[in-house]
Amino acid sequence: MWVPPLVLTVAVLGYPLFVAPARGVLVIGLAALVLCALGLVVRSGALVTAGGVLALGQYALALWLAAAPPRLAGAVLFGVGLVLLVETADFSRRVRGATLGPGLVASQVRYWVGFAGLAGSAALFAAGLATAASAVVRLPWAPAFAAGGAAAALVAVTIALRRREIP
Amino acid sequence: MTPRLTPLALSVVSLAASGLVLAIFTGRPELIVAVVPLVFGLFRRRFLASSDWQIARVLSADQAFEGERVVVTITVSAEGNVPTLELFEPLPPSLRLVAGSNRGFFTLTRDQSVKWTYEVECRRRGRASLGVVQARLWDRSGLHAVESAARASGPLRVYPRRIQLRRLPRPRRTQTSVGNYVASSVGQGIEPGDIREFAPGDRIRHVNWRASLRFRKLFVTQYHQERNADVILMLDTLSEAGAAPETTLDASVRAAASLAGAYLARKDRVGLIEYGGPFRWVRPGSGRGQRERLLEALLRAEVVFSYVRGDVGLVPRRVLPPQALVIAITPLVDPHFEKAVVDLAARGFDLVILSPSPIPLVRRTMPTSPSVDLACRLWALERRARAASLQRLGLRVLEWDPRQPLELALAAFNPVRRRMMG
Repeated sequence: MWVPPLVLTVAVLGYPLFVAPARGVLVIGLAALVLCALGLVVRSGALVTAGGVLALGQYALALWLAAAPPRLAGAVLFGVGLVLLVETADFSRRVRGATLGPGLVASQVRYWVGFAGLAGSAALFAAGLATAASAVVRLPWAPAFAAGGAAAALVAVTIALRRREIP
Repeated sequence: MTPRLTPLALSVVSLAASGLVLAIFTGRPELIVAVVPLVFGLFRRRFLASSDWQIARVLSADQAFEGERVVVTITVSAEGNVPTLELFEPLPPSLRLVAGSNRGFFTLTRDQSVKWTYEVECRRRGRASLGVVQARLWDRSGLHAVESAARASGPLRVYPRRIQLRRLPRPRRTQTSVGNYVASSVGQGIEPGDIREFAPGDRIRHVNWRASLRFRKLFVTQYHQERNADVILMLDTLSEAGAAPETTLDASVRAAASLAGAYLARKDRVGLIEYGGPFRWVRPGSGRGQRERLLEALLRAEVVFSYVRGDVGLVPRRVLPPQALVIAITPLVDPHFEKAVVDLAARGFDLVILSPSPIPLVRRTMPTSPSVDLACRLWALERRARAASLQRLGLRVLEWDPRQPLELALAAFNPVRRRMMG
């Protein structure tokens, strides 16, 4: 079960290079690849997450270097790939060494395909909504993002930490 | 049961937060869009019902000997849809997984059942309880999970491994029932003894024709009776040394089981006394039923600390018959057991001490170093001195290295016993 997360890792880390084929992007991508691969080998979710964070950094750097008009479809694919990467890596970690029942992998793959479609559609819908809204109402984008992002991150982390975790 | 967030949820939150922070710094909307699938997955919550499934466990055998393998089959059935069910069966230390996995993941639809099989090896005697199966019900994303446990009966009795023995310590005295030992008294039997003059009532088939022709008088051949014996196995459960499943008590129990099996096969009556401070015993008996009783008693044998130190005089006569051969199995670690043995010898019991040496078993658990070597040598000297002091009291001590076959230790014993009988 280590092949799907590895393929997704390569895809997610390859996309920023497609956006901006620069040396810095490649270096960060390689570091992220090492972290993700190590996380898959030693079955560490934390390492895969760290690799994912680096992948986001790599993508941000690529976007900053490219300075091109927004490519929302690519961003949706990148986001879906990232979430599938952490989910498949986690699934691979959980099932390693265990007996797998009939139909488990097939149903999980079906779920991931369905989720990718749904999440992608939701992201495209949200992006379209935001584009339409921005045409109508002019908002000071950066401060709004800052406030909204910080609030969402804080709320989400608080929710996550308030509940007892399952190892 | 309330679903709880898993570490994956924290990972997703961290990624989303990182994406948002990077979006603020770079001012690129793509990063916000990339974060949307992460947040979408996080807030897509599934309701997990923990009671929609049942398990049933079947073992290929409910009794096994040490070293044997048992196949465990678990049937998981569901009344409703179960997205991902993780089952984990913690194995007791006496069992070791040899094939398959004791952890399984299943997805079940309504009224579906799946079978899950794995194989365990019985490492140590005892009652291994495969009782509770830990369960974790995951949603498909792996972001939420519910933990529960299911109970399914799975008792497994692991009996001590039996070693085939051909030579056994011969009892000095025999009993009245028919057995395999040639007694000194004459009567019914197949072992020829003396010849004597014919007397009215003698059977014609016992007439010794060669002697009769030679002396021109009728002589008959007398036969030795074949009798059984009472054998009492006295097990020292005051202390043990070494690491499970290779402690001195494990070795002693295996030796006791092997000796019991071998003596019972010779039609002897075998009893067991477990001395762990207070006495516990199984009265002497013969047959397969007695074998089961002895194995059950040996299954329970363990070291339990007690301030009570029983006196062998308190053991009833029917448990410790005066004519019995007593085989004391002890690592000679606790002096109280030695005292009990000396007490028995003073009462005139036919006594043999079989001593599984704790030194190789303890040494196996320790790293090799000169100080360990020295300590083991000193310990060996001390054991030799103890054995010598017991031998001076007329007791025969059989030193047994549990890594070696038991028969080696017993073989060294028999010639001496024959001389004693002679």
